[in-house]
Amino acid sequence: MADPVFFELLHAQIVKYVEERQTKDTDLSSLDTIGFTCGYKIIERLTRDWPKFKDELEIVKFICTDFWMAVYGKQIDNLRTNNQGLYVLQDNMFRCLNKIAIGKEHLQVAPLYYTFTCGLVRGSLANLGVHCVVNAEVQNMPSVKFHIQLPADCP
Amino acid sequence: MVKIYNLYIFNNAGTLLHYAEWNRTKQSGITREHEAKLMYGMLFSIKSTNKYALHFYETPTGTKFVLNTDSTAGKMTEFLKNLNSQIFVEYAVKNPMVDLSQPIKNDLFSAKLDAFIKGSSLYVS
Repeated sequence: MADPVFFELLHAQIVKYVEERQTKDTDLSSLDTIGFTCGYKIIERLTRDWPKFKDELEIVKFICTDFWMAVYGKQIDNLRTNNQGLYVLQDNMFRCLNKIAIGKEHLQVAPLYYTFTCGLVRGSLANLGVHCVVNAEVQNMPSVKFHIQLPADCP
Repeated sequence: MVKIYNLYIFNNAGTLLHYAEWNRTKQSGITREHEAKLMYGMLFSIKSTNKYALHFYETPTGTKFVLNTDSTAGKMTEFLKNLNSQIFVEYAVKNPMVDLSQPIKNDLFSAKLDAFIKGSSLYVS
């Protein structure tokens, strides 16, 4: 695995590039798309030695442990679900934010730094057959809650 | 134990990136910007007096760390090296909100720096 600093710096530059090119300051879809494509490919590689997962909870657990470990060097700190297709993954020391600020400072830039990861998770799940919507919220830097919402009719 | 007075960080263009002080009792009576310019200009000519010691550390990229302490301090090179790698690189260089051609305005960086100085075994107020 390459030194994490390469990922950190490249990610920060991608964010800066997208931020400068965007016309509306709410349009982060290109970051999400880049994340999706990366996630789709990463999961292919990470699961190559794994048996097939038996259900969707097992897949989400894989994301929280092995996937997060491979990408961010730690596991998700807390996983919650309402058993109706909503999963909340909480990372208290999110690597894309933990160098920026602590508490409420720079809170308005947080979406720029978690959108790639939302796409990453969405892409990973998509390649495992789970189609969903991924959002995130930040109340206190550098802690993030990722919300994974599966459509109601999803098995 | 060493009394640590203050710290200046300059980039390779001579811009004052950060200033912090801990046990400084005498103020210069001029603005911080002016004082920093004087400090930068004096770097190569100033010598330690019996009242205080000035420690200087420069990285290969030209970032300069200037730390004033009381005269009991020995060599602080290792200390400033650690300050660079553990605080400056981690929370300023790797922080996308910090522009290293401008003075650093970031609470996390200031807090980490303060904790590093106060948490060091040398620090005494």
